[in-house]
Amino acid sequence: MIKGGQNYVSSPPAFSNDGNRVLVCTGNTVSIFSSSTGLQVSSLEGHTAPVTSVVVVPATDILCYCWTSSFDGTVRYWDFSVPETVKKLDLGMPIFSMVIPSFLGSPEENNAKTANVFAYVSVHDGKAWQIRKCSLTNYRKVGKLVLKETERPEPLIISPSGKFLGIKHKRKLHIWKLPRVESDVAVAKKITLHHTKTITVLAFHPTERTVAAGDVTGRMLIWRGFGTQKFLDHSGSNNRISMNDGEDKHGVRQNDDAESCSVWHWHSAGVCLLSFSPDGAYLYSGGTEGVLVLWQLDSGKKKFLPRIGSPLLYFIESPDPSLSLISCADNQIHMLKTPSMEIIKSISGIKPPLSYQEICESFSGKAAFDCTSGLVAVQTENYGIQFYSLLANRGVYEVQVCERNHQPADEVTVAVTLVELSVDGSIMGTVEIKLPEEGVGGLVSLKFWDLDSDTKRFSVSTVIYEPHRDAHISAIAFHPTHRMAVSSSYGGDFKIWVCKEGDIQQKGQALQNSGWMCHAVGSYKNKAMRAATFSADGSVLAVAADTVITLWDPDKNVLMAVVGETPTPIVSLAFAGKSEYLLSVSHGLKPRLSVWSMSKLAMAWSYRLQIEAVSPAIDSSYFAILALLPESNERAFKGNGIILLFNATDPVPVASMSVTKAKGGGLAFLKGDLSERAVIDGKTSQTLLVYINGDREYVIFDPYDKEGHELSIIRQDVPLEETGQFGYSSIYGELPKFDLQKDKTASVISTASERPWETIFTGSTHMLPPLTKLCSVFLESLLEKRTALAE
Amino acid sequence: MAEPLHSSQPKIFPVKPKQKPKPRTQNQTPESKYWSSFKNTQIQNLISVPSLTFSPSSPHPFAAAHSATVSIYKPQNDPLDSPTTTITSFKDVVSSLSFRSDGRLLAAGDLSGLVQVFDVGGGSAAARSALRRLRSHVRPVRFVHYPKLQRLRVISAGDDALVKVWDVAAGDSPVMELRGHRDYVRCGDSSPVDADTFITGSYDHTVKLWDVRVGDSKPAIEVNHGNPVEDVVFLPAGGMVATAGGNSVKFWDLISGGKLVCSMEGHNKTVTSLCIGRIGSGSDEELNQFRVLSVGLDGYMKVFDYSSMKVTHSMRFPAPLLSVAYSPDCKTRVIGTSNGIIYVGKRKIKEEEIEGRVSEKSLFWRIRPLEHTQKKVFRPSHFRYFQRGQGEKPSEGDYLIMRPKKEKLGEHDKLLKNFRHGEALVSVLEGKNPGNVLAVMEELVSRKKLMVCVSNLDAEKLELLLVFLRKYCTVPRYSGLLMGLARKVLKMRVDEIRGSEALKAHIQNLKRSIEEEIKIQQSLQEIQGIISPLLKIAGRR
Repeated sequence: MIKGGQNYVSSPPAFSNDGNRVLVCTGNTVSIFSSSTGLQVSSLEGHTAPVTSVVVVPATDILCYCWTSSFDGTVRYWDFSVPETVKKLDLGMPIFSMVIPSFLGSPEENNAKTANVFAYVSVHDGKAWQIRKCSLTNYRKVGKLVLKETERPEPLIISPSGKFLGIKHKRKLHIWKLPRVESDVAVAKKITLHHTKTITVLAFHPTERTVAAGDVTGRMLIWRGFGTQKFLDHSGSNNRISMNDGEDKHGVRQNDDAESCSVWHWHSAGVCLLSFSPDGAYLYSGGTEGVLVLWQLDSGKKKFLPRIGSPLLYFIESPDPSLSLISCADNQIHMLKTPSMEIIKSISGIKPPLSYQEICESFSGKAAFDCTSGLVAVQTENYGIQFYSLLANRGVYEVQVCERNHQPADEVTVAVTLVELSVDGSIMGTVEIKLPEEGVGGLVSLKFWDLDSDTKRFSVSTVIYEPHRDAHISAIAFHPTHRMAVSSSYGGDFKIWVCKEGDIQQKGQALQNSGWMCHAVGSYKNKAMRAATFSADGSVLAVAADTVITLWDPDKNVLMAVVGETPTPIVSLAFAGKSEYLLSVSHGLKPRLSVWSMSKLAMAWSYRLQIEAVSPAIDSSYFAILALLPESNERAFKGNGIILLFNATDPVPVASMSVTKAKGGGLAFLKGDLSERAVIDGKTSQTLLVYINGDREYVIFDPYDKEGHELSIIRQDVPLEETGQFGYSSIYGELPKFDLQKDKTASVISTASERPWETIFTGSTHMLPPLTKLCSVFLESLLEKRTALAE
Repeated sequence: MAEPLHSSQPKIFPVKPKQKPKPRTQNQTPESKYWSSFKNTQIQNLISVPSLTFSPSSPHPFAAAHSATVSIYKPQNDPLDSPTTTITSFKDVVSSLSFRSDGRLLAAGDLSGLVQVFDVGGGSAAARSALRRLRSHVRPVRFVHYPKLQRLRVISAGDDALVKVWDVAAGDSPVMELRGHRDYVRCGDSSPVDADTFITGSYDHTVKLWDVRVGDSKPAIEVNHGNPVEDVVFLPAGGMVATAGGNSVKFWDLISGGKLVCSMEGHNKTVTSLCIGRIGSGSDEELNQFRVLSVGLDGYMKVFDYSSMKVTHSMRFPAPLLSVAYSPDCKTRVIGTSNGIIYVGKRKIKEEEIEGRVSEKSLFWRIRPLEHTQKKVFRPSHFRYFQRGQGEKPSEGDYLIMRPKKEKLGEHDKLLKNFRHGEALVSVLEGKNPGNVLAVMEELVSRKKLMVCVSNLDAEKLELLLVFLRKYCTVPRYSGLLMGLARKVLKMRVDEIRGSEALKAHIQNLKRSIEEEIKIQQSLQEIQGIISPLLKIAGRR
């Protein structure tokens, strides 16, 4: 079994100490990516429920330890270079968030406290989410002390200095000053800051007592000097009196304990991301509209990285000051070069299903599978198609179907409603719709794409505007061998399209001349046509006209036969491989899966099941269906869906598997040579079935294998490691080796070719990494060189 | 930065008009582009132009025969209306003209049977009276020709079916009289490679190749075109001739004894004239650059590539065409019509072509600039000192770091980018491109802002929009959106429209154009009603 398609952005990722690795929570595992290549290196497996937070233990570059918390109630300590679990603590309650304050702050304090490491966790005790404390070094049980109870889980935010802990709760911020010496009983002092709108995110300033918060309307509030009265208890009472005058407290509400509060407003929609730069001079903010804004704190000047195309979720700084990452809601993690604000790499997860499924009746969120190369094509919110490699578990590339910039906060008016791939994966058909404004300007367009044989990417070949007048397209199907396609519409007709190639002798012109043209139009009693498919040899075209199936000769466009009658309209059709059976699926009040015999032109057998997806095996008469179970049955099957494998001749299923999140799911058989690359316990498996669920997580397995062996893939693409330079060496280049025999010219050449200075100074000078960051590295390298000399 | 930017780099998508369907055969091949690059001007108010010819010597003036006048024009003049020289010493209609190979003498024949030779090298005064009057033909002369490689002789022929060779210097009587044709001789041409051979074509359907060294009135070769021959022309290599007669142009191989090579049947009416055209695209003098230009009474000019045997370009004129000529420097193409208009097509020659010509001709001029290329050393006192080296061109081995190409944004794109929707709409409406207007409207629809924009337009801009609607709302490609929009505009802005006379007038125009369109649709439906039963019957078979 191969799993993939996990969500990369469920919780904030973390950088390793050397900045070369990114630890990303992916479901039950933590995946480790290389920040230089963007490819997965390894993963930490062991949790039995989704991992909710990763905390890397700060240390020198070599040590790679981290703590993770999970909904399964455990906290684990990992050595992620190996990777293996070092320690496991069972808290017994689902953990939503965990922070470890003692890792932060100044090093000398750290040393004193290494004996006892405490973590603050947000756990669920059965009634509400509670913020509690627990010791990680000598764990007995979670501390009794409950800092705060909330109905909904709130992420814990720790200040970079490790002194303050904060959460947002509805329209309030709760901030605790953590005790200087931690123990199970030490109590933290708490203040509360109020706002009139629901707060969505907060961030602490690295050095000052300043906290920033964003709200749902897009405003950002910055409280300076919070907790002057309560946290600075040494300052005496006279100070407090002067504060209580209230005149100096600009913008601070009620009796909130802060010196001033300023409001910044740029974002048009809710703020999702706030982060101070490590030197505290800048503030990064991002929101639903997908623009990263860099604020200069003193002046309020802004710099933008626009058109990221998806709501931003998290912003993480790496130890390398020139690198940071942003997580986006479309399951992408972008590596950002900080001074110049450029995206240099992306960790591309499968894009999430579209949020606007109900935009129109023709919308189909179904993914299309390229069975030969193991790719799945899914629609993305920014009007594109993402091609995702199922075996490598990463996004390969995207094509932009509709050339528009996506504004995530805006109302949806344009959408890619349908994507279909031909059997050999060389042709793609997409349908996009533009919704009219007050009945003016609606548009349906059908696009055919050709696979470029060199680059293996699709490029648009033909655009057809309004192929069925203004009726929406319900389905596209491709001929198995010829370059022929059929599109069926709700307007009651279908069109057969053929691609005419130009003369082959004139190569340059042939490319321009090849295009898709309408070959034939057919309709049956003006009934809405909701599904179409070709038989395995391409000699028969089956089109579902409302409740009956019409069979056509695609070349001559002659109606050959009309089959059957189902109680509700047929929404999906498929031929069962090379056999003589045709499957039809109808939804509605009387859902039905029917199998029709083409030789008798009559129904062979049928089931009353709500079918979500059907996939015939390509070269046998088997087919698999994904059925939604009625809600009453969910308990019995551990999930809301079931995959059944049938032989078309026999109504008794061959195999069955129960699955979760089946709504909106899809099924596909993978083909021949692809499955040879996947090895199950040393044996190759002939048939592989892919199940992709409603959240676009997928699993590949052998449906005939009862025991469900683990599948392992012989990965052909071993991620190559680039030894990226960071810190000192990224600015000034590698330090020259203290080697007297070394040829001098060689070193000159190597530095000249690297040229790190060309890029590092692209930003403004004041945004360069602080010297303090570089200094330690520089000194460290010098020290190492000394020892080398001594030898 | 060695590594290329990742594809997920944010990008701006400019608003683009919808793509139009491409024709399956490209209508603009490079060759047809060349032929349509001749910009037409007209010389009007003449009487039908049966003969046109270019002087072989630069600057290639051309002579046109019209009625009893010959006019010589310089194509470089602009405008072309007035001829540089006019010769009027004819008693009857001039039928044929020919320049001598040096361009200094012009022979002309008229329907009175007289052949005259004029001196056109010496300006208009010298050309008033003929140098020679060659009288021997008793019937109208239809064909006069100076051989291309011969300066002393003139060939003439006419309705008396006789072909005569004259020695211009000697004067009055012809050197030779060739009998052989049995009907009017209409045309002829001399070989471009041999001074002694020429061909004539006649209404007796034959084309005969004559050799002046053989005096016995027997043609060397005779081919039968099958139709009265209107024009013949030697192809530049000299081994082949093209003959025009009836609706066809035929190509004959003379070297193999007069074999038919191919026949071009592109015209619908009689082909009246032929000439050799050349694609003067530059230095490489390849054989396949030569084309045969033919004009016919059907008003078409066709360009025939006889090496690939294809009509490569075809052009229509609104009158029956009688004559065609093409200048040797490939700059001008003239066509004479029966209703007295000469269509002069002039082509602008690209800089490089001219430069190439200049550099070949005047080599010694180039010594001078070389002296100046000595490098000047700038002093810091001069401002150029601070700009030195900025215009440096990269040399061979240099590694070029290209500045990332900036996406070019139109004005409406910039406005849309800044969410200034109304201004964007106005800016495209003021522009000329209806495709862009539609693209911006569609973009506004998908931003749900079109209605707001329309309701906010002030009266002046509303007029713009109404003018646009009137012009384009019946264009099938645009009507889907524009019809709906027009209705909405009327509904929303009814008060303003009632208040203003100008707007009312636009609305009336709009109404009229829609009514016209409805009429067209109805008649189309009628036609469809007539055709569809026929098609059904045809389908049954």
